[in-house]
Amino acid sequence: MTQTGLAPAIPLADTEGTRTGPWSMTPEQTQYPGEQSDSQTDLQLVRKVRNGDRSAFDLLVLKYQSRVAGIISRYVYDSQEVLDLTQETFVKAYRAIGRFRGDSAFYTWLYRIAVNTAKNYLDARGRRPQGSADVAEAEAFEEGARLRDPASPERLLQREQLQQALSQAIAGLPEELRSAFLLREYDGLSYEDIARILDCPIGTVRSRIFRARDAVDRHLGPLLNHTESM
Amino acid sequence: MDDRLRETLSAMMDDEADELSVRRLLSHPDQHQVQEQWRRWQQIRDVMHPGPASSGRVDAHGLDVIAGVREALDGAALDRASAAASDAPAPARHRWRWSAAALVMLSLGVGFGAGAGWESGDDPVVQDVALKGLDQEQWAQMNRYLLEHAQHNSVGAGRGSMGYARLVSVAGHAY
Repeated sequence: MTQTGLAPAIPLADTEGTRTGPWSMTPEQTQYPGEQSDSQTDLQLVRKVRNGDRSAFDLLVLKYQSRVAGIISRYVYDSQEVLDLTQETFVKAYRAIGRFRGDSAFYTWLYRIAVNTAKNYLDARGRRPQGSADVAEAEAFEEGARLRDPASPERLLQREQLQQALSQAIAGLPEELRSAFLLREYDGLSYEDIARILDCPIGTVRSRIFRARDAVDRHLGPLLNHTESM
Repeated sequence: MDDRLRETLSAMMDDEADELSVRRLLSHPDQHQVQEQWRRWQQIRDVMHPGPASSGRVDAHGLDVIAGVREALDGAALDRASAAASDAPAPARHRWRWSAAALVMLSLGVGFGAGAGWESGDDPVVQDVALKGLDQEQWAQMNRYLLEHAQHNSVGAGRGSMGYARLVSVAGHAY
């Protein structure tokens, strides 16, 4: 936390506020196709966090940090500010997690905290959320977003390398592993549905997806070790 | 981390792990290993689905805030602990309340102990220490007091009835 510092614990009304802004996509729009919005794993982890298990919260941070940063960067240009506000979002979420009632998905709840954290930050500095409310304009802006990001050339190269390596890794997978993995990741099917489609037991699907993931991980190797603080 | 556990972690990525498996993963002694594997697989997923993470003005792929979040939470916990420590010397006006409360607790404990066991005669050491040197009149007074005390307790609270029950049921030396 270098710039924004820690705000005091915010009331839930604030974190779940109904404010909408020009860049407010719905949480569902930022959900991966392979993910269910009412993730049972998230709820299990939240329960653990409530019981004082910090490592469970670490898993939630690792899972959602990129997406939260993506949400915040719709409001804030500066990458350091994005980093700080992402951090602040998780700290607020941790402090307020006892009040998370589970009425909505954890990610939806986190999404609201992120949006309000970004808006409060801009309000506190007398800045309006930047950009236009017009959806088409917003889309056009997003098209060019990478070019406007000051860190883009290097990051874009890394991303391209990663994506190339990923494509190669997936192409190199044995057919049965690839099918299961892609049905899961791109089509978002459950293990049960995949088992039905591939006509094999659920345990086999589970094992194939794991092996596919593991093979891709090994193929990407050092490219994934590079974690950035932006 | 063995392959079985990694397979469970993979299922957890897909929301297909049961609660017991999640618990087993979280209780794994090397959490760093678990988190590192989780991080890598999440990164792969981020690359496969570039939308959300790069939907803003800043490309958020590969961003890592976990150390900062931990630091912030640890720092806040430390601040709270030190604030509590600095508040430790209680204001003078509260001190007597604690002392009084302690005295009340002590006397209640002694009274309850007396009601519960001293009169039973089961413990000759206690009887020797507490009741040594009482004459017959003092014994009678003590018995009346204990009986009244136990009766009073038995009306107000369930725990007191035990003392009373024991007191009236024991055919000790005093009765």
